[in-house]
Amino acid sequence: MIALEGVTKIFRLPHDRKATLRQRFVSILQKSTYEELYALRDINLKINDGEFLGIIGKNGAGKSTLLKIIARVLEPTTGKVSVNGNIAPFLELGVGFQWELTVKNNIFFYGALLGMSRREIERRYDWIIDFSGLERFVDTKLKNLSSGMQVRLGFSITVSVESPILLVDEVLAVGDIDFHQKCYNCFENFRKNGRTILFVSHDLKPIEQFCDRVILLENGAIKKQGNPKDILSIYCEKNPKHVVVEAAD
Amino acid sequence: MSSMENRKQKNPSGRRNYIYLTSVMAITDFKIKYDNSVLGYFWSLLKPLLMFGTLYLVFSVFIRWEIKNYKLYLLLGIILWNFFSEVTLNSMVLLESKASIIKKIYFPRWIIVIASSLTSLLTLLLNIVVFFIFFIFSGARFRASALFLVVYLAELYILVVGIALLLCALYPKFRDIHHIWEVFVQLGFWATPIVYPISIVPAKYHTLIFLNPVARIIQSSRDALIGPASESLGFTNHIIIICFSACLFVAGLAMFNKLSRSFAEVL
Repeated sequence: MIALEGVTKIFRLPHDRKATLRQRFVSILQKSTYEELYALRDINLKINDGEFLGIIGKNGAGKSTLLKIIARVLEPTTGKVSVNGNIAPFLELGVGFQWELTVKNNIFFYGALLGMSRREIERRYDWIIDFSGLERFVDTKLKNLSSGMQVRLGFSITVSVESPILLVDEVLAVGDIDFHQKCYNCFENFRKNGRTILFVSHDLKPIEQFCDRVILLENGAIKKQGNPKDILSIYCEKNPKHVVVEAAD
Repeated sequence: MSSMENRKQKNPSGRRNYIYLTSVMAITDFKIKYDNSVLGYFWSLLKPLLMFGTLYLVFSVFIRWEIKNYKLYLLLGIILWNFFSEVTLNSMVLLESKASIIKKIYFPRWIIVIASSLTSLLTLLLNIVVFFIFFIFSGARFRASALFLVVYLAELYILVVGIALLLCALYPKFRDIHHIWEVFVQLGFWATPIVYPISIVPAKYHTLIFLNPVARIIQSSRDALIGPASESLGFTNHIIIICFSACLFVAGLAMFNKLSRSFAEVL
């Protein structure tokens, strides 16, 4: 279970960031000024085990910040976050990739980064290779793979983490239709296995298809939450452009 | 099977996975550093050996110190000092090279510093093997006190990691400490009896020079391996170094853990 109580995140954006001793010394008499940006305002949220929660909202609404706070990458300014269980962060595919190493080495490195133990990685190794379709390239350096292959590898390693909670942030923006289908099948499986999934997407189709509940973020606050159909219709009414773009797709 | 799976997840062996992550990170860095090959390591030896060669030429052909086994004396000093400068200077570059990971994935940040220090430690141990090859060829005799080297290396490691943690924690806020520390390390190299014997320094400055714990460790290591033992660096001396290093390590780790929480924002 994930519970957020009164979580607020304020980013302080200094007008002129003083990142060196020199700058601090030179401007010792100047007051440092900054803008405060409320990325999240007083978020209260409970996510039950096995729930598939969709998070939608415009750019800058706080979706990614919310996931990062749950993933412990960012600390909330005020409020409490409690997470029961391991988290597999799906915030970006292949962030820890080492371009100078082989596919095999990368599986172990990235797997460890995501919190897997050696034994777990060894157990999942064949599956990862198989799922990413890279049997022939195990000993190839990562930099020599095509970008599509790199994405598939990143995805395969991440989904093989057997953590009860998954955070998915727009990872499906890349890849072809085939790959999307593979991803959706994966998510479907996760849901059947009772894993909790938090899903951020601008593509509303999968949100409608998979989610049990959707929350709509606006300016860092939860504007509305409820079942996907209702929320999506509210969201589309407000952003008629979005519908057009979707249709053009 | 599924019940076992569940139990595993409820009681995740978090600590052990962190140890695994640390070792994977260290080995990965090592592989990248040496291009995945043995020759890669030898290539990396070129820099310290060239430095050794230059200094040896200057101080053994142009100027002559009266030191027995000057070659070994110099080489050991350079190897140990290089370890110190490499780990502490690297600690500040680390965060930038790992920034993309830090911004996206959570894991205790000290793993980055420890992993990098282990990579350097591995290099140090290989360099010491090279030193012993020189040792054998120069016809020096092994003595029982050589075993103390292990203790001295442990002291050096803890000291160096403590400093690295401190510097790494401060770096995002004061980025110019990298340049400041660079100058400091350069200065320290000449303020430490590495190329010259301590005997040429006027006695009144000895206390000053030996305020630097690295100088004490280097001097003691040479005393143990090559001799002759200098009277000023005895047993209590090392107790003090160990206590000092341990305190620095604990303080460094505490400060690092406090400041590292905001790394994802300030990088």
